[in-house]
Amino acid sequence: MHAVVMESLEEYLAGTLKPAAQREIETHLNACDACRDEIRTMQDVSQLFLSLRPEEPATPSPGFYLKLMEQVGQRQAAPSVGNIFGLGFAFGRKLIFASLLTLAVLGSYLVLRESGYAPGPSPEAVMAQQESPAFDSAPAQDNMLVTLTAYEH
Amino acid sequence: MGTLAGTLTLPTFGSQVASKTRVDYQNTPEGALVRRAQAGEEAAFREIVERYQSKVFSIIHGIVRQRNDVEDIAQQVFAKVYLSLKSFDFRSSLITWIYKITVNECFDYLRKRKVRKLVYESDLSEDEVRRVENSEPATDRQIAADSSLAQRDYVLKLLTRVSEEERMLLMLKEVEGFSVEELAERTGMNENTIKVKLFRARQKLVKAAQRLDRTPGLVPG
Repeated sequence: MHAVVMESLEEYLAGTLKPAAQREIETHLNACDACRDEIRTMQDVSQLFLSLRPEEPATPSPGFYLKLMEQVGQRQAAPSVGNIFGLGFAFGRKLIFASLLTLAVLGSYLVLRESGYAPGPSPEAVMAQQESPAFDSAPAQDNMLVTLTAYEH
Repeated sequence: MGTLAGTLTLPTFGSQVASKTRVDYQNTPEGALVRRAQAGEEAAFREIVERYQSKVFSIIHGIVRQRNDVEDIAQQVFAKVYLSLKSFDFRSSLITWIYKITVNECFDYLRKRKVRKLVYESDLSEDEVRRVENSEPATDRQIAADSSLAQRDYVLKLLTRVSEEERMLLMLKEVEGFSVEELAERTGMNENTIKVKLFRARQKLVKAAQRLDRTPGLVPG
């Protein structure tokens, strides 16, 4: 929708625009299909709201207040999840905060502990080991054969 | 329709709109009454109920139209008011706050009724459903009433597609007939904010109406 319509939309829909502003919008609507269609749908929907106005006044029965207070009493007596565990709302929030804080502290401790391990051989060292003559040597191959045989049994 | 809106930025909505001083609801006679009720004085709460019960009943009756259920819903509304009155912060007028609770309670009721109806219909055979639908012959008056009911159902369906706040603003504007200025006064929001919120809500309704109109059997009466 274009700004010229959008700025005065509520007044236009309510029919309370001054004649000059009304003419300005209508000139635009005559030229702009998109705005015209959108405004028309908005007016149609606006009319539908009239069906939500009560046709006749609805009045409460004489005992309404007493029945209401009975219901309030029942609701107050019904246990909520917090009440079951004897927890108030404020206490529950504090408990959740404390749990999250504990988790954060534990997590940081584990991360620091992991980085405290001695580092393994560097990638260059592993490559050098694989390329060394000893890696393909006969004793090494024999050891591997022995291991495989052991698996078969 | 609606395609341009996404690409355009919202204008300032209102060079012509003069900003009003916000109403200090805490320092009104009603504010004093609410504070007494918040402090646990039952007579004050009773006064609130008596002051607004007719309005609440009318809102519910307008939306729900089931006379038998109006009182039950009104009880739920005032029970909620009683139990959450301590959280009322005087940013809006008390009736605006109660209005919002009432509209939400009505939509909650309609949602539950729809679920119950679906469960009930799923238990009936096709013949039984047809017999229930054709049980009363339609008269002219009946057709007019049906048309009004169809319009009500349609607009209620559209209203499920907007947020609770947008629904309340639309209802206050379209059903209660408040102006933007009055809405700003009652909700404690700026007039420009009200206009932007109403504009977005109306756009959502337009989109929802287009979607519903494309669905067979949902054309308004």
